[in-house]
Amino acid sequence: MDNMGFLFAANAFVWGGIIYYVYTLKQRNRALEKDLDLLKETLSKEG
Amino acid sequence: MSPDEVEDKEEESNIMVWLTGSALLAAMIGIFIYVPTERTEGVIQRIMYFHIPCAWLSFFAFFVVFICSILFLWKKDREWDIYAHASAEIGVVFCSLVLITGPIWARPIWGAWWVWDARLTSTLILWIIYVSYLMLRAQSDAGSMRARYAAVLGIVGFLDIPLIHFSVLWWRAFHPQPKVITSEGIGKGMDPSMLATLGLSLCAFTLLYFLLMGERVRQEQLKDEIDRLKREKLYSS
Repeated sequence: MDNMGFLFAANAFVWGGIIYYVYTLKQRNRALEKDLDLLKETLSKEG
Repeated sequence: MSPDEVEDKEEESNIMVWLTGSALLAAMIGIFIYVPTERTEGVIQRIMYFHIPCAWLSFFAFFVVFICSILFLWKKDREWDIYAHASAEIGVVFCSLVLITGPIWARPIWGAWWVWDARLTSTLILWIIYVSYLMLRAQSDAGSMRARYAAVLGIVGFLDIPLIHFSVLWWRAFHPQPKVITSEGIGKGMDPSMLATLGLSLCAFTLLYFLLMGERVRQEQLKDEIDRLKREKLYSS
């Protein structure tokens, strides 16, 4: 069972990295969708 | 896009999420339960089932950058530029994971976190090239000259990948020689369960690439739509 800590660290980095990237991707998309809806609303009010 | 089309897209995306999630779960079961422990390296060798798929995913992502950059320079179509940019970001994320998991694997086996070996150094150079690509993109507007410079960098950067592959064959290296694809065939000398687990992990990571690409491309399309509406608003006022 030697080197279990190294295996755990590698596993944690891979999953942590993937989860963090997916989270930031979702956050950025959500913010952009919000901006787009706001812009559309403003344009429809003006037009 | 009509509401029906939006609904279809969401349904497709949900299927992809479930498919990728199931494949990743199956790969994890394979890595930690099914596959036997390797005789010489012990439990640490299981890092291979993350390390190789991360490397494969990053190389595949940079190959997409290479193809899409050529198509962008040729056709001058923004769609290709979007695909190249999205794929480069995903490639950098997974190349970073390769550069993290590699030293974690190397420390107990080689006794050092890092050696300036041909493969390790050329992989680090690849990472630096595509980080520079993303930094250049961060300053560029769509359709500007900088987008073209980025496309050229995306093409030139890919030329490092054959160098990474052949480096262990051309020069004396610390990094092990290819064991999965050799001149004798695919997976010769490997335990069938190890080969199956690695294959499953590679499939799961490939699905993950397509899932991430879908989200990242959508982000660029949303940015373009916002820019278009802002311009429309500016001209109408």
